[in-house]
Amino acid sequence: MKLELGYIQINDIQFSKECKVENSTLFVDPDAVKAFMYEDDDVKAWVKDFSFDVAKPGESVRITPVKDVIEPRVKVEGPGGVFPGVISKVDTVGSGKTHVLRGMAVVTAGKIVGFQEGIIDMSGPGADYTPFSKLNNFVVVAEPVEGYQDHKHEYEHAVRIAGLRAATFIGEIGRNVTPDETQEFETLGIKEGIEKYPDLPRVAYVHMLQTQGLLHDTYVYGVDAKRTLTTIINPTETMDGAIISGNCVSACDKNTTYHHLNNPVVKALFAAHGKTLNYVCNIITNENVYLADKQRSSDWSAKLCRLLDLDGAIVSQEGFGNPDTDLIMNTKKIELQGVKTTIITDEYAGQDGKSQSLADADPLADAVVTGGNANEVIILPKMDKVIGTLDYVDVIAGGHAGSLRPDGTIEAELQVITGATNEMGFNRLSAR
Amino acid sequence: MVKEIERAGIPVVHMCTVTPISMTVGANRIVPTIAIPHPLGNPALSPEEEKAIRRKLVERALEALTTEVEDQTIFEV
Repeated sequence: MKLELGYIQINDIQFSKECKVENSTLFVDPDAVKAFMYEDDDVKAWVKDFSFDVAKPGESVRITPVKDVIEPRVKVEGPGGVFPGVISKVDTVGSGKTHVLRGMAVVTAGKIVGFQEGIIDMSGPGADYTPFSKLNNFVVVAEPVEGYQDHKHEYEHAVRIAGLRAATFIGEIGRNVTPDETQEFETLGIKEGIEKYPDLPRVAYVHMLQTQGLLHDTYVYGVDAKRTLTTIINPTETMDGAIISGNCVSACDKNTTYHHLNNPVVKALFAAHGKTLNYVCNIITNENVYLADKQRSSDWSAKLCRLLDLDGAIVSQEGFGNPDTDLIMNTKKIELQGVKTTIITDEYAGQDGKSQSLADADPLADAVVTGGNANEVIILPKMDKVIGTLDYVDVIAGGHAGSLRPDGTIEAELQVITGATNEMGFNRLSAR
Repeated sequence: MVKEIERAGIPVVHMCTVTPISMTVGANRIVPTIAIPHPLGNPALSPEEEKAIRRKLVERALEALTTEVEDQTIFEV
C-alpha cells in the first residue's frame, strides 16, 4: 500500500468570506465552517453555539480546556476519504494521494468533562512543552445545550464530530492547491518485504490505544476500539485518519487525532525502512478495564508478532496507571515469543521524581524510552488572552485547589499541558 | 497501603481488578474483582445479581484473610 502526502505549508490564518490558500496563508470563513458542522444532526442536537478564534505561535494566548487537536487533510486521489467510518464512508484509506495543511491545526475547546481537558500556551515556558504552540491554530470553542451534564457521552460525540468536520472543511480548501513538498510512504506485502529485504530485521509498531470507556476512547474506522481484538493496520491508513481520538483524559499523554495523523514512531520507522530495518506493519491493541480483556488483547499482540515472524517491536502506550499493566503484559508476552521490544511510555514519579515511575514492571521490559515525568511542577505566566475559559484550571488533572493564582499565573503539574509527555515521543521531553 | 498495614502485623486482602499490579507491588493475598471503574459491582446486572456478586467477593476475601499463605497468592473467585 502506497500513499503520497502533499504538504501545503500554512504560515498564517485569516478570517475571510472567501476560502482559499494563497502564499501559505489560509483564508477561511468561520460561518461556512459553522454551517458545515451543523449539517450533522448530533452537533445540532447538543452544541448550542460555536465561537472561533485564531492562535498563532509566540502570541500571549492560552487555549483551555482543550479537547482535541486535528490536522486538516483531504484525499485527492485513491479510494476513500479522510476520517473513514466517521466523516467519510468506511472505504479503506492509506493509498493514493492526500494533501496536508501543514503548520496548522483545528483545536476544539470548551467544557466537556472539565478536569480531563488540557492547556495550550502559545508563548512562555508552557509553550515549550506542547508541540501545538508551534502551529497556527484555528480554535473552535463549543458551548453545550442546557442539560448536557446528564448526556456527556452524547455531547463528547457531538464535539468530536464537530472538530473532525471543521478539519474536513478546511482540508477541502487545500484540494486544488499545489503542495510545497511531497513524500511517499509504502508498506509491502509480507512475502514481498522478505524477498526485497532478506537481511534486514523485521520490525512492527505495536500501537496501544486508550479504550477505558467513560469518555476515554479511541475509534478505528468509526469502531469503538474497546470492542475490538488486537489487529493489523497499514501505517499509511493512520495518515488518512483511520484512528481518531475520543479521549477526555489527562492532557499530557493522551494521543490527539493530530498525533495519530503524524505519529512519530510511524515516521521514524518509515525513515529507517529498507535501510536498517524492514517496517512490516502496525499492530493496534486496546487498553480495557477488565483484566480478561487485558489478557486477551496482549495475548493477541504476542500471537501476531510471532505470526509475522518479527525480530523486533516498538510498543507505545497511551495514558498511565492501569494501562501500565497492558504495556507490561504486551512487552513481556512479545519478548517471550523471541521478539525484542522497546517501549515508549512516560512517568508519574512524583513532583520530586523519586517515586516509582510506572505502576507495573517486568525485567523483560529492559529497553524503555520515556516521555518525561508528568508530575513535574511548572509555573505558567498570565497570558493577555484566554481562548475558552480558566474555570477548570484548579480541577484539571495535574492542577490543584489554588493552581490558578490571584495574579493570573498557574502552578500545576506538566500533566495539564496538552501533549507534554506524549508517549509516541512526539514532544521535546522525548529521548530522541 | 497494603504493605504498610501488613508491616504493622495485620493481614490484608487486596481486592483489585488489575492483579498483575498487585503482584508487582507485593500484596500477599489478592482477590480479583470485576472492573477498574466498578471493582465490587457491575452496572450491567440487576441489583439482586449485583448483591449476590458482592457477597461472593466479600466472602472470598474473608476466606483469604483466614488462609495461611507461603507466597503471594491470588484467590480466584
